Amino acid sequence: MKKKIMSGLLILVLLIVGITGCGSQQRSDETGSSGDEEGQKTFVFGDTTFNAENGEPDINPHNDNSGWACIRYGVGETLFRFNDEMEMEPWLAESCENVDEYTWKIVLREGISFTSGRVMDAEAVKECLEDLVKNHPRAAENLSIAEITAEDMTLTIRTSIPVPALINYLADPYGCIYDVQAGVTEEGIVQGTGPYRAVSLTTDSEMELVKNENYWNGEPKIDKITVRTISDGDTLTMALQSGEIDAAYGMPYASYPLFENDNYTFTSCETSRVFFGAMNFESPVTSDPAVRKAIAMGIDKEGFVETLLGGNGYPAAGVYPDNVSFGGDVVSAESYDPEGAKQVLEEAGWVDTDGDGIREKDGTSLVLRWLTYPSRQEQPLLAESAQATLGEIGFQVEINNTADHNRIRTDSDAWDIYVSAMVTAPTGDPEYFFKYHCLDSSSNNDGHYHSDRLEELAQEMAKTFDADKRAELAIQMQKVILDDNAYVFCSHLRMSMISKANVTGLTAHPCDYYEITVDLDIE
Amino acid sequence: MKRYIFKRLLLLIPIVLGITFLSFAMMRIAGSDAILQQVDATGIALSQEVIDARREELGLNQPFLIQYVRWLGGFLTGDLGVSYISGNDVFSTFVSKLPATLFLTGSSMLLTVIISLPLGILAAVRQNKFTDYLIRTSSFIGSSLPNFFVALLLMYFLSIRLPVFPVISEGINLKSIVLPTLTLGIAMSARYLRQIRAAVLEELGKEYVAGEKARGIEFSATLWKSVLRSCLVTILTLMALSIGSLLGGTAIVESIFMWDGVGKLAVDAINMRDYPVIQAYVVWMAMIYVIVNLATDVIYRLIDPRIRLEGERR
Amino acid sequence: MIERVKNRLRKRSGKNRIKQRLIIFSVLVALLLLLALFSEKLCPYDPAQQNFAIALEPPGPAHLFGTDRYGRDMLSRVLVGAHISIFSALILVAVITAAGSLIGVAAGYAGGKLDAVVMRISDICLAFPGLIFALAIAAVLNGGVENAVIALAAVSWPKYARLSRSQTLAVKQSDYIQAARLAGNTPVQMILRHILPNIMGQILVTAMLDIGTMMMEIAALSFLGLGAKPPTAEWGSMMSEGRSMLQTYPWVVLTPGIGIFISVALFNLLGDTLRDYMDPRNRRETVKNS
Repeated sequence: MKKKIMSGLLILVLLIVGITGCGSQQRSDETGSSGDEEGQKTFVFGDTTFNAENGEPDINPHNDNSGWACIRYGVGETLFRFNDEMEMEPWLAESCENVDEYTWKIVLREGISFTSGRVMDAEAVKECLEDLVKNHPRAAENLSIAEITAEDMTLTIRTSIPVPALINYLADPYGCIYDVQAGVTEEGIVQGTGPYRAVSLTTDSEMELVKNENYWNGEPKIDKITVRTISDGDTLTMALQSGEIDAAYGMPYASYPLFENDNYTFTSCETSRVFFGAMNFESPVTSDPAVRKAIAMGIDKEGFVETLLGGNGYPAAGVYPDNVSFGGDVVSAESYDPEGAKQVLEEAGWVDTDGDGIREKDGTSLVLRWLTYPSRQEQPLLAESAQATLGEIGFQVEINNTADHNRIRTDSDAWDIYVSAMVTAPTGDPEYFFKYHCLDSSSNNDGHYHSDRLEELAQEMAKTFDADKRAELAIQMQKVILDDNAYVFCSHLRMSMISKANVTGLTAHPCDYYEITVDLDIE
Repeated sequence: MKRYIFKRLLLLIPIVLGITFLSFAMMRIAGSDAILQQVDATGIALSQEVIDARREELGLNQPFLIQYVRWLGGFLTGDLGVSYISGNDVFSTFVSKLPATLFLTGSSMLLTVIISLPLGILAAVRQNKFTDYLIRTSSFIGSSLPNFFVALLLMYFLSIRLPVFPVISEGINLKSIVLPTLTLGIAMSARYLRQIRAAVLEELGKEYVAGEKARGIEFSATLWKSVLRSCLVTILTLMALSIGSLLGGTAIVESIFMWDGVGKLAVDAINMRDYPVIQAYVVWMAMIYVIVNLATDVIYRLIDPRIRLEGERR
Repeated sequence: MIERVKNRLRKRSGKNRIKQRLIIFSVLVALLLLLALFSEKLCPYDPAQQNFAIALEPPGPAHLFGTDRYGRDMLSRVLVGAHISIFSALILVAVITAAGSLIGVAAGYAGGKLDAVVMRISDICLAFPGLIFALAIAAVLNGGVENAVIALAAVSWPKYARLSRSQTLAVKQSDYIQAARLAGNTPVQMILRHILPNIMGQILVTAMLDIGTMMMEIAALSFLGLGAKPPTAEWGSMMSEGRSMLQTYPWVVLTPGIGIFISVALFNLLGDTLRDYMDPRNRRETVKNS
């Protein structure tokens, strides 16, 4: 009998080990539905990208990519911002003067204070920028700041080398200005100047924001905002359907039809993110110019965008999107032409001799190892679509879709084309893309592409301050890489946010930085 | 008994060493590291110098064995390091999220037993009758639906069609736990009720059942007292095993429902190659599992004296 | 006396029914396997042929199961998927069952050091949170069905070792095993003749059930991005890839789901019937009657 009781007890322990352990931990917060609650306006935003995986564990702009979260959710603001045409305009700054190649004089806007209560003056901004370059390697590299002097509301920045795009870099999310003296909490919360102030934050889970009563640029309309990290696209879909969230970022395309009705509003914008393939110049297959040309001609960009992305994007020709002066169809690329591609291959000696549908040349089969990664939902679709269209031309495409692509791409024996989705102009300036992807010194040039002409043009751009001239150089540089078919640009991403119909003031922006603003309201 | 338990506890040491070493080796062979992982997630490229500097900072450029010994030393002193990604202390992150997972595991286990035990017995008693077929057909459906799909169906019917439970969990509370528990419980029950059915049938075929019947003992009494008790070995083995797979299996469900537990933490960490977090998860889950197993073995001894315990042989 | 005859008759007819069912289910499973084996020949269309013009067409006369977002014929894909899904699950289960139960029985029968060592190894493997470990292995091996199978085998065998060991322990003490041992049987004979047949039922039921479970595990790896590689049609991956279309284009996710259901049900039914057939009650009946 005793044994029986004991065994029963042990079983019980096994079963309820968790329940007893957690009983005390239960929270009773019933955030639930949103809208008007006791006269308070609340808003819940679901986002697939606010997570540590994207380098956004919190909202401290000096920590990795957390600046994106800081600026997107209305906590932080930068000295300069992009308008809808992706041109620079002052934000926390009032004006800017480029004194000489090395010196910039920035006058700050009066009457702005941090949510910590401190007034934003040149000294505060100086402290913040100094902290930035100390803790953020990419910022330090971009800005190359030698010295900052603060005097009342005037900030003078001296750089160690000429930095023509300094203002653009300051508009990068890492440039969010916060009160360094108030510090960063353990949760990673900073006190910015934006319309909302963060009160609590759990990495990869949620963040609570409240209205900044003393906001300098109008009155925020929502009392309380919750930003929820939702990593699964279907969960996001259902959460918006059930009304648990008021707006969503990162919705799977397949879910769009569910929201294309009067109950929901879409806000969309073309971004500078481009899906593109980089050819491996060390590979016996893609080092052949004819093969590269055939690939460029053998990808059905239109079909990919129209059918698989449901029209949420547009076929790309070059590096940059339509909305910048040096982007869109200022350059042209090969168009989809399977017959032409076959002919190109045929003329170059790639013929199917054994009748298996795959071409060969000198004993080498036309096998294309397509390396890509799954964290962007569009990439597997592009790979599978290209697998079929290139297959018809006589390629055998082997897709390697893996989160481990970064290691693999450094091994030039392991892939032929590397397809990724990169932001090509995060600062609205063309230099970034070439600097990081296409030059001999580029960290991402794993396919070892080299062009003498491109190197020359890049050196010229590095010392050119005039925006029009930089744009002209950017167009020439795009022509060089397209003539070599070193890269094939497939499509630009159209970013969309979907909200309930009663949400207003949520507008997609081409740079993808500004989501929750002072205009956001819910009726 | 005490001696046996002590011996089993000692045996934890080689097991934990084996586990830590294997998993450590595994993650390192996987290659890609935390820093490179960030580049593609954000689409913002870093220069090689920046990458090297961060590697140096995290000790990722040291030989494998040194990294392992360093980590193990830290583990023994209660220091699991900091996450490569968030920079937070791994141990405290893990401990803060563990109760959520245990809670979910416990409730799913409970639901599994509540569903599968009575239905399994019922199906066995009504072997080849309509009830049996009905129960078994349901179990086929339950065991042919992937977890993520069950989750979707439940969300669709119980959150959108009939808005009762939230799609995304709002903290660790009773309302939010229902859908994740159902998701896990349905799949587990579908599997185990058939195991239980088989075990009960096995027992029902034994001679003593017929014997008791011949002696005029109520069938229900035989069923509850003798048969069930003899089946407990099988059922317990299954349960102990399923706690292992439940602890791991919560991962997908946690990710889907945004249940903020260690399973979600682990899946995120694997995607990000966040080694310290993966190590912590694997070692801790293994510890819990081994302890559960020890308890199971002790229970065997209590319900079935025929099984001698190793420690008591001498 | 009459009662006893009646009883025996009833049992015999029960036995016949089981035999009947066994034949029926064996034939059905054989058919399923044949279908899976020759599925490529049965496809109405090329399962990899894309055609954006007919993407996401609902089921109709031209495409009985509709088309997916690439405009591929779902019926053809589900048929081809049978091959990979069923055979990969079968191979996986066969390997882990054979390896796991032999190890478990040997350990349980021999006891002592061998038992201790084997159980410690299986403890280590078992203690790993299965899916996470499989995920890590699959990540190292870089996806693909074959690698998913290897990863799952590495974490699944100890289950059979444990199960068969505990069964062996229970059986080992029984009178007839003791008697058989006294009769001078060698350990190998003991295991093959007396222990294995006695525990086979339970293991077979588990194995048949596991075919479904393993399909699910492969699907779980697909969900986490480490399943079949495109354009391979595998049911779990198809469901995982199509899951966001459940509300909008349900056939994309439901048709492979039906494939999984049918095969899981058939294997399970066969498993159950096999168990009934090998049930000692029925066996002793046969012995007596022959």
